[in-house]
Parts: sequence; C-alpha cells; structure tokens
Amino acid sequence: MTIEPEMLMAYADGALDPLSAKRVERAIAENPALADEVARHRRLKVRLASAYAPIAEEPVPDRLAAMLTSNVVPMQPPLRQRSRLSLPLWQSAAAMAACLVVGVLLGRQVDQGPISATEHGLYAAGPLASALDRQASGGDGAVRIAVSFRATDNDFCRVFQSAAADGIACRDAKGWALRRTMPGSAPKAGGGYAQAGSSDAELMAAAQDMMADMPLDAEGEKAAIAKDWRSR
Amino acid sequence: MAAFEKELLALLPRLRRFARSLTHDAADADDLCQVTVEKALLAQGSWQAGTRLDSWMYRIMRNAWIDTARSRSRAAETFVGEDAGLSVGATGNAEARVALNEVDAAMRTLPDEQREAVALVLVEGLAYKDAAEILDIPMGTLTSRLVRGRQALMARLGEAA
Repeated sequence: MTIEPEMLMAYADGALDPLSAKRVERAIAENPALADEVARHRRLKVRLASAYAPIAEEPVPDRLAAMLTSNVVPMQPPLRQRSRLSLPLWQSAAAMAACLVVGVLLGRQVDQGPISATEHGLYAAGPLASALDRQASGGDGAVRIAVSFRATDNDFCRVFQSAAADGIACRDAKGWALRRTMPGSAPKAGGGYAQAGSSDAELMAAAQDMMADMPLDAEGEKAAIAKDWRSR
Repeated sequence: MAAFEKELLALLPRLRRFARSLTHDAADADDLCQVTVEKALLAQGSWQAGTRLDSWMYRIMRNAWIDTARSRSRAAETFVGEDAGLSVGATGNAEARVALNEVDAAMRTLPDEQREAVALVLVEGLAYKDAAEILDIPMGTLTSRLVRGRQALMARLGEAA
C-alpha cells in the first residue's frame, strides 16, 4: 500500500480523518521508514513554531500600535503604561493567570473526567491519562498527542490536545502532572472555531523551552511506553 | 477604542510573526505590518463581524506582500540585510536569535508559494482548510505546496532522511 507524502504529512499534523489515519497507521506498521518521516515532520513543526515564537512575544512597536490607538477615548487604559520592558512580563503573567484559571475551572468541572485536582496539583485522569500512557504521537482521536520529549528535569513530557483542554503533561511518580493547560483546541463536532493558532504555537514554544534535547522519535516513544514512562 | 481596533491590536503580535516569516527581515516585516493595518482600516467596512478577523488579516497581509515583493523584484534582487534577525535581541537572547536566523535563512530559499503555506500552517498553526482559504487555493494545492516546502526545509535544516 502506498501512502502519498501529503497524506503522511497530514497524519503527522493530526489533520486526517480517523479512517485515513488508520490506513496510515497500518502502512507505518509495515514500514518503519514512514514513522521516521512522521517524526521529522513533527520536529520541523516544533522547530519552526519555536523559532518564530519570540517575535509574537516582543512588544509591538509604538508606531504600529499607535495606528489603532490614536483615536482612543479617555476611558481606555493608556497603552503607554505598558512600557517596552514590562509588556512581555505583563503578558506572561496574564497568560499564566489564564492558565491557572482554566486549570482550576477544569479541575472543578470535570473531576471525574480528563483532569483531576489533587493536593499535589492538577493531574490527568480517565481517558486523557490513558491516552498519555499508551497513545503514540500523531493520529486522530479524542486526545491527540503532538510530541513527546524528555524535559530538563529528566521527566518525560507530552504535548496534548483534546476537546476539554490542551496542555503539556509530565510523568512523575504520581501520574501525569499538568504543567500547562489551555482551553481545548481539538476539533469539536461541527468544526467550530478551534483556537489552533495561538495555543498550538504557544505550547510548542513552551515545550521547546522545557526540552532537554530533541523530541522523541517513534522508536524512543515506543521504548518509553514500554517502560511506562519511568525516567529513572 | 472601537471593537474592531481592539481586536486588531490584539492580533498584532501574531501578524508581526507572520510578516517576519514572509519577509525574513525585521524592518521589512514591520513595514508590511503597517501597510496591512492601513489597508485593514480602509477596508474595515467589508469585514463581517462574527467571521474570523485573523484569517481576514492574514489574507490582507499576504496579498500586500505579493504586491510589494512583485514591485521590488522588478527593481532589484532582494537586499539581504546584514542585521536581519538582530531585532529579536530586544527581548530575546543569543540562542533564540541563532535559532531564528537558521530557520529564516532556510525559509528564504523557498519559493513564495511554498513559504506562505509553511508560514500559515507551521508557524501560525492554522488548519489546512483555513490556510487554503486564506491563500485562495484548493486543499490539494495547499498540501502539495506544504509537503514540498517542508521537505526542502528538512533538507536545509539537517532533518533529511
């Protein structure tokens, strides 16, 4: 069975319908070279997303912002207060706060669902936890794993997307600790507006920061799954 | 500030990133952003509230870039700014700068049609369908440009088989 390069790429991006994804998975099982190609596609995606991520984190030059704020009514908080230096800090603080809120809300809403709030923090539960345990990167399904890697603290971590939440989960002694959570971007039925853009790139950039080295390839993932993601 | 301007302001960081991946040069990128915002403000009436403003803006920017790139390539070969990439240093670090310079240089070698597909999907993280709509091409055309662009980048960036 031949798999078009386009189809393999779409599989690596999690952009295939479940039926085609199954076809690709069968082909990969017969031909390990295809798995390497999938891993290369994912590494390239991480590399590009993280190389350009700093641009979106820079403060917007005044002359650009002024084009939109020059007619500001006085009610508006003055934009100038966000000085060049404080903006990134302010942005990351806001982003962090948003993540916390999402995390806490999710923890409350779906304690029996994909996320549980424990005294040690938020942990993956139910279908999310089993997907993180056993599912290979890519492919389709309720939970998608974008990439797996070893973090600088030596734990294994995985970037995931699901309808309930997107995030980065790292395996510790108690389970899959959620290091980052954002509103879910996995396509909901009916193809509603998925915030793929911002969350995808942000998570990939965050993952890049946490990585000890390159993301795991298919072989490395298989080995990690076999060892139950124990890093030590 | 009207809702439109407010939403646009919130999109500026992503638009700057998209501009950078198209132009490879920090100054060109901000010029492109400026032109794009000007065009958007003028065309404001044709944007339908409730539809995706980001897609609309990406489309304006991409078309503006084609226009300027066309007129420039007639004039001369694109000038390769020596300080391209240096502006990331304002808040970034040396490592981030090197990573961006390598990727920028590889992106520069792609034909425009492949670069814009790669930029929308891999850098901006858009779905294939949304990228195809922005570029006004069928899905099949998008995926074939995307796969060729990616293979060329893998070869350049040392990810080849």
